[in-house]
Amino acid sequence: MDMFFYSLAIQLSALVAVVFLRNSRTASAVAHLLLLAGLISGFVPTLSALFFSDAPLLDFSVYGIPDSLFRFDALGLYFLGIVQLVAIPTTIYSYSSVRHYIDKGKSIKQMLVFYPILLVATQLTVASNHSILFLVCWELMSTSAYLGMIFEKEKGDVQTGSFYYLVMNHVVVFILYVFFFLLHHQSNSWLFSDFHVSPDAGGLFILLYVLSLTAFGMKSGFMPFHVWLPRAHPIAPTVFSAFLSGIIIKTGIYGIFRTFQFLNPTPEWLGWFVLAVSMVSAIFGVWYALAQHDIKRLLAYHSVENIGIIGIGIGIGFIGSAYHSPPVQVLGFGGALLHTLNHAVFKSLLFIGSGVIYQNLGTRNIELMGGIARRGRFFAILFLIGSVAISGIPPLNGFISEFIIFNGFFTTARELKNYYPLLMLVSTVGLAFVGGLAVACFTKINSIMFLGSERKEIKHFHISPYDYLSLGILALLCSVIGFYPQPFVRVTNSVLSRSFIPGNASSALLDINWFYIGLTFLAMLAGFILIYMWKRFINGKYGRKISPAWGCGYEGLSPRMQYTASSFADQLNSISKSALGYHKKIKSQSEAFPAKNKFKSHADDFVDSKILLPWFDKFSSFISRIELFNYSDIRYYVAFILIIISIYSLIGFLWI
Amino acid sequence: MDLNSLAQGIVSLLAILVLAPLFSGLVNKQKAVFTARIGAPVAQPYYELRRLLRKETINAGTASFISDISPVINLVAVVIAAAMLPIGFTKPLISFEGDIILFAYLLGLARFFQILAAMDIGSSFEGMGAAREATFAVFAEPIFFFTIGSVAFAGDFTSIYDIYHSIRLDNVNYIVFIVVCSISVLILAVTECSRMPVDDPNTHLELTMIHEVMILDNSGVDLFLYQYCSYVKLFIYAILEASLFYPLAVQNYNVAIIIFIVVIMVLATALAAVETVTARFKLKNVPHYLLFATAIGVLNLLIYTFTK
Repeated sequence: MDMFFYSLAIQLSALVAVVFLRNSRTASAVAHLLLLAGLISGFVPTLSALFFSDAPLLDFSVYGIPDSLFRFDALGLYFLGIVQLVAIPTTIYSYSSVRHYIDKGKSIKQMLVFYPILLVATQLTVASNHSILFLVCWELMSTSAYLGMIFEKEKGDVQTGSFYYLVMNHVVVFILYVFFFLLHHQSNSWLFSDFHVSPDAGGLFILLYVLSLTAFGMKSGFMPFHVWLPRAHPIAPTVFSAFLSGIIIKTGIYGIFRTFQFLNPTPEWLGWFVLAVSMVSAIFGVWYALAQHDIKRLLAYHSVENIGIIGIGIGIGFIGSAYHSPPVQVLGFGGALLHTLNHAVFKSLLFIGSGVIYQNLGTRNIELMGGIARRGRFFAILFLIGSVAISGIPPLNGFISEFIIFNGFFTTARELKNYYPLLMLVSTVGLAFVGGLAVACFTKINSIMFLGSERKEIKHFHISPYDYLSLGILALLCSVIGFYPQPFVRVTNSVLSRSFIPGNASSALLDINWFYIGLTFLAMLAGFILIYMWKRFINGKYGRKISPAWGCGYEGLSPRMQYTASSFADQLNSISKSALGYHKKIKSQSEAFPAKNKFKSHADDFVDSKILLPWFDKFSSFISRIELFNYSDIRYYVAFILIIISIYSLIGFLWI
Repeated sequence: MDLNSLAQGIVSLLAILVLAPLFSGLVNKQKAVFTARIGAPVAQPYYELRRLLRKETINAGTASFISDISPVINLVAVVIAAAMLPIGFTKPLISFEGDIILFAYLLGLARFFQILAAMDIGSSFEGMGAAREATFAVFAEPIFFFTIGSVAFAGDFTSIYDIYHSIRLDNVNYIVFIVVCSISVLILAVTECSRMPVDDPNTHLELTMIHEVMILDNSGVDLFLYQYCSYVKLFIYAILEASLFYPLAVQNYNVAIIIFIVVIMVLATALAAVETVTARFKLKNVPHYLLFATAIGVLNLLIYTFTK
């Protein structure tokens, strides 16, 4: 695994290129090449360790690194693999997007500096074994993401959106400090490999779980803590929002899995709790998404949905752990792990796709788009692949992981009996409902963005080969995992048996009839090709022509008369008006002749606008009223920080 | 899978594919009889399909590649879904643990591309139909899992073939269970296949249609594929309904086939009767109707709890 450190060194050397090369074009090319080389050279050994090695623990003492600092166990390797795998296409896209910024005459130093740091810090985070190192890397990762996010800092919404992210991160890190401190106090070690708390610890056990689920849940965006996602994603440069949504929120999932490693077996109620929270996240995440017009904001809400689906799997796994039932655990955790990979792949694909559109159209409002499919047909197909995959529709990868989770429901009902079948049936219906809403949402954005005619004229539409390459890699991954899931399922299973369930006797994950499913998908593909060819033949025989669309005899149809995204989603949104905060405003001035009317529809986030923001407002007005910390001089604040740190150190010192 | 059951599976799939238009013909014929008309012959759907196949295909000027591939994807998805259904006690062609999920999601795939193809034209007519289809489908999916899912959880099976075969009639509750299930499958069929009272396939006003308006700008072989898909889809739901009654046959192969035929006939009559006596709902009332069906599903749950 020393290759890992070489690869990090290669990636970091990109920084040197940025510092020393004056010409920004060459700097960007060299930096991205170095990053790619580093990522690939890191990914290959990760992959081989995941597939072939049973004990990927290595001795680092040769290199002068204490072997306790880093650990490459199966779980860490799995997430490391996800990071490196998704970072490769993201980096390819990053090159193209940086070139775009250079064309506009923007200084791109900020992006080129923080992107490599972000990559390296994220890889170190999932590989570290020492709590303090983990926290340092975690902070480095979050901060560099923040600094990259404020690339277009002259814009007002960039400032406010990124501020939410920054605040969230600080809260997370603060909670994590307490979490690791308690763990350290309990086990007298800073090493992940030494942490273990059993449920006998009573209150401490529960407290640790509460801390961990709050902190990591905040990072990954579970429902009450999701508010930062729809604010931070739209304003970040696409590279960062793709990485943020694809990878960084997954580090929260990684954290929850690690916590489970430290603290098991879980009590049953915890499984139910996680399941319920995740179900709420999934259903409302996708429902909020349906009401959005900003493509990146919409995708951010979809991250909430998918994190919810991952959480459902984790919840099932927790229940399995409570009952010591390996099949339930394997299916729950397995579904969650695989969905983590899948979501990283298709969400990056969709984010990069939306970035490409933003570059060309200069808007993120989908109501102004339309007809892109005829400008870039392959691009539309690639985006469509991502959309089908994220909706969990066969034959792509989203279906595979959701299928495992569905199987988890069935197995839980079968294994645990009692009242479980009833509750699992409700969960099944819930997940199916999420799937239905996702279909509604992704048909909405695909049809409004890509189909029909152009609502706003597209002046030029250019997609560079790098964009195609990066989108193509991701789309290929979506299809490969869909059509041939066996190797991925096997890796997931081995991660589970190596990290969570020692001597895993259950082959529930492998027993799913993957061969049959793959065969069915291949039959679908073959059937599609055959029938399509037959259709072409019939077309050739009886002719095919183009004529204007049916307009009831009216011929003055204009692009503005097309169906809009708001009207498409209106009926569904109206059903849960109050929960969504969905409202419409119609300003009509009807006189004898129809005049210009105005229509506006908007969905506030209920959690955001009714619960959190009023509370924040109250808090800040309270603070300003007591005027205790209201100094205009920054040196006072520095002094405060120093005082707080000394108090902490004093507590720590006295404690030990 | 041995050769015999493979052959059986292929035969029953072919039977489904061939008989599907006949079912629609049956419904239409009976509807005509109920309203004191002579009506078109029962085989009319076949004639219509043949006519469509020989027509020139016309695409709207705004249509993209989606309009081209969507009818084919629709057909493939629906046919594969049909291959999972048992006729009588024959083992279907595709049957594995968990195929109930794949079945539901394949119909989702068909729907996904149907909606996209409708929106592809960019016309508001199709847009309205697509939006309605998307909305109603969201509620149809829970109904499916509440009904077929509850049978699945009751019997601990996750393959459609096994689910239906796990139904035992020795418990009185089961009979109630089956009756309630068949009601919600009927509602599901009406919703998903755009029949009355959710949608009126015979209306002539574009603004009020759902399924028909989505394929408004299709013609020729495209329309042939869509129409054929909608026949197969209706027949699929009819089979889902009929399968609930197989246990009456007490494992007798021939009786099961007879039951299948009888239920299909009765169902066609029921659909025709419903379409004769009711008018289409106001569109804004359709969600209430679907919520009512979901409530029946919850009823299912309660019966299920008592059955256990």
